[in-house]
Amino acid sequence: MQELPLEGIRVADFCHVWAGPHVTQWLAVMGAEVIKIESHLRPDLTRSFFAGGKTLMPGLNQSVDFAVLNYTKKGCTINMTLPRGIELVKEIIKLSDVVTENFGGPVMERWGLGYPDLKKLRADIILYSGSGFGRTGPYKEFPAYAPIIDAFAGLTSLNGYAGGGPVPFGVGGWTDLTAAQHGAFAILAALHHRFRTGEGQHIDLSMSEVGCAFLPDAIMDYTMNDRVQRPQGNRDIAMAPHGCYRCQGEDNWVTIAVSTDEEWEALCHAMGDPEWADDERFRDGLSRWTNQEELDRLIQGWTSNYTDWQAAVLLQEAGVMAGPTLSPQAVVQDRHLAERGFFIDMDHPEMGKVRLPRLPLNMNHSPFGKYEHAPSIGEHNDYVFRELLKMPEEEIARLQEEQVIF
Amino acid sequence: MSGQALSGLKVVEWSDFVSGPYCGKLLADLGAEVIKVERPGTGDRARRHGPFPQDIPHPEKSGLFLYLNTNKLGVTLDVRTVTGAEVFSKLVGQADVLVENNPPREVEELGFAYKRLCEVNPRLVMTSITPFGQTGPYRDHRSCDLISFNASGLAFVNPSDGVEDPEGQPPLKGPGHQGDLVAGLSGAVATMGAVLNCQVTGSGQHVDVSEQEALASIMRSYLGLHAIEAMTWTRLKGSIPGMVSDKYHCADGMVYLLCGQDRFWAEWMKAMGDPDWAQNELFQDRISRRENWDAVKAMIEEWTMKRTVEEVVRTADASRVPCRPINTVKDLATSELAAARDYFAEVDHREAGTLRFPGGPFKLSQTPWRVQRPAPLLGEHNEEVYCNRLGYTGQELTVMRAGGAI
Repeated sequence: MQELPLEGIRVADFCHVWAGPHVTQWLAVMGAEVIKIESHLRPDLTRSFFAGGKTLMPGLNQSVDFAVLNYTKKGCTINMTLPRGIELVKEIIKLSDVVTENFGGPVMERWGLGYPDLKKLRADIILYSGSGFGRTGPYKEFPAYAPIIDAFAGLTSLNGYAGGGPVPFGVGGWTDLTAAQHGAFAILAALHHRFRTGEGQHIDLSMSEVGCAFLPDAIMDYTMNDRVQRPQGNRDIAMAPHGCYRCQGEDNWVTIAVSTDEEWEALCHAMGDPEWADDERFRDGLSRWTNQEELDRLIQGWTSNYTDWQAAVLLQEAGVMAGPTLSPQAVVQDRHLAERGFFIDMDHPEMGKVRLPRLPLNMNHSPFGKYEHAPSIGEHNDYVFRELLKMPEEEIARLQEEQVIF
Repeated sequence: MSGQALSGLKVVEWSDFVSGPYCGKLLADLGAEVIKVERPGTGDRARRHGPFPQDIPHPEKSGLFLYLNTNKLGVTLDVRTVTGAEVFSKLVGQADVLVENNPPREVEELGFAYKRLCEVNPRLVMTSITPFGQTGPYRDHRSCDLISFNASGLAFVNPSDGVEDPEGQPPLKGPGHQGDLVAGLSGAVATMGAVLNCQVTGSGQHVDVSEQEALASIMRSYLGLHAIEAMTWTRLKGSIPGMVSDKYHCADGMVYLLCGQDRFWAEWMKAMGDPDWAQNELFQDRISRRENWDAVKAMIEEWTMKRTVEEVVRTADASRVPCRPINTVKDLATSELAAARDYFAEVDHREAGTLRFPGGPFKLSQTPWRVQRPAPLLGEHNEEVYCNRLGYTGQELTVMRAGGAI
């Protein structure tokens, strides 16, 4: 029985950096054969990213950033500055179901590989084009930089502390990877459509449109009430207490949220029923919300006697929504994620044994999907040119010499 | 209507608030038939959440609910009653997909665990979206967006900024419902994988989506860098250092500008009229600019403060230096790009009037995203679903309503 959803599907992949590769990472892990097309003239930029502060890694195959976004893909090298290179790519595309790209402009068109051209190679081809602002419209040639996109899409203006100024959303890759997942979803929907009708199509995904889709409260408040929302920090529109409270130790924090009177009783009980909890300022949901600044101060008086985990466990056992603020290193050590197999070991020819986070994909027939090390540059040239395209040895050798396969 | 990417796909959505409904929305907006099951009387919690027109709460006028539930059919059902459970089984029996975001223990106690439902319908894809997944020590932890966002590492790396005292601030969660939306999004990608798999194998499966994992997955670079390079992070208080891109005050607002990289720096200095201060040896390369960023920023901001946002952006565009305004949602909604790319869709709702909200997060050439119907009124499609599809008579519906099952 076929275990992986996309077995038998092949992807000709031009994606690079972050937003594009995460799309094809989902497809590869789901079983598609993703052929990542690079060149020594233009290797994927993340191959050169190295651990901040550490010495430059030798070569192009030791970057953690590259590995964490490109595992399970096959890598080949084709020099797209030469016409013969473009011809080779066309041969791969004829054997592919999906073509993916996230160039910062009409690169595919310049190569004669725009959607109308691709349809001539294969009538039911699905082309995915990711960009910062869309493949049509006044910003179609703007490059995609996440903080710029966040600023334009309204996210930056809403991120920050209550009463404070806008703060760039600090998580590197947030906008790229959330856009990428919308892209993966659209490709799978297009495959569903093709399965039923035989028809392919062109997917145009704009990161800033994705950003907009993730701001329903603020946007509806504007379109319904002409009101412009500002940063709210950790506050909630209805829940109080709702925040992040300091615990014992350096940067040790616990989050707590209370949504009902029952949860409030549970919180009071967990805190040992302090006298201040009986104050009429905190008796009911509305009063708690109105007086949350003072309430936060008092709760922090309690949490600061415990570590984040001590407080979280006490509160969970009492029936309160609570949890520690985990750092990246704490996430890697987290016992729940460990038990759920969130980190997967892969053997990499140059990096050795690497442990990397999987995708949040967990299905009972093929639990986590397919995991193989990220490709070294050109690692699968043999497979692509000899096995897939069935080219004779002499021709492959000649093309390597002429730096077409390069 | 045929001709949409997911036409013919039958989905039952037994979910509440944001995560499950966003998954259902992604499917419904591309043409899947999504029957949303809500508790009789109160319905989905989002109905009470707002924003509301003129701030007057009304269960049929919540902006959040109206956005998240476009294109769905709505029925009321109390699955905790014996009759309700029977009706639910019938609905699930006819569905390809069930999307639910209920606590795992409750789902089991009600008799709707996947191992039971797959006996009713072996083709069923059951997608369960929860804070910590179906297994592991935190499985039954009570949680909401704030708790999950902090349990994933994302809050820890979101910088404390935009306030007088960044040192004293707690970790910051993303604005609105970023966490819950990502869980729903990852759920939708995984669901489509399982749907495609079922088309080949004839068998459904259980898709287990953990919000903690969906969010931690976005942290993948950080997690990989700790697992492989033993890098660790401390919380950032103040601007993100070393990004050499930053926010700048202008005369009438703020912009986000990327000018620290070598290739943009020369262009930007030229655009600013080659100021004398730029000759300082401290500013000649990317590394030393980063090390002296406060000084660099101060000099640039002196220039931007004398100009409007529009002028600064126009200057940057002319030099091809990445720069965009820090837009409020109003700026976004009234921008030329939003108009050119149809960022916003409009639909008439019987109670709430004409609604304007974010349109599709992607553009599909053959099977475009579209709004065919607004979010359902509570129980709006009881008759259509229960009578026309499940064969109940009008009288039976009356009995069920009186008994509280619907």
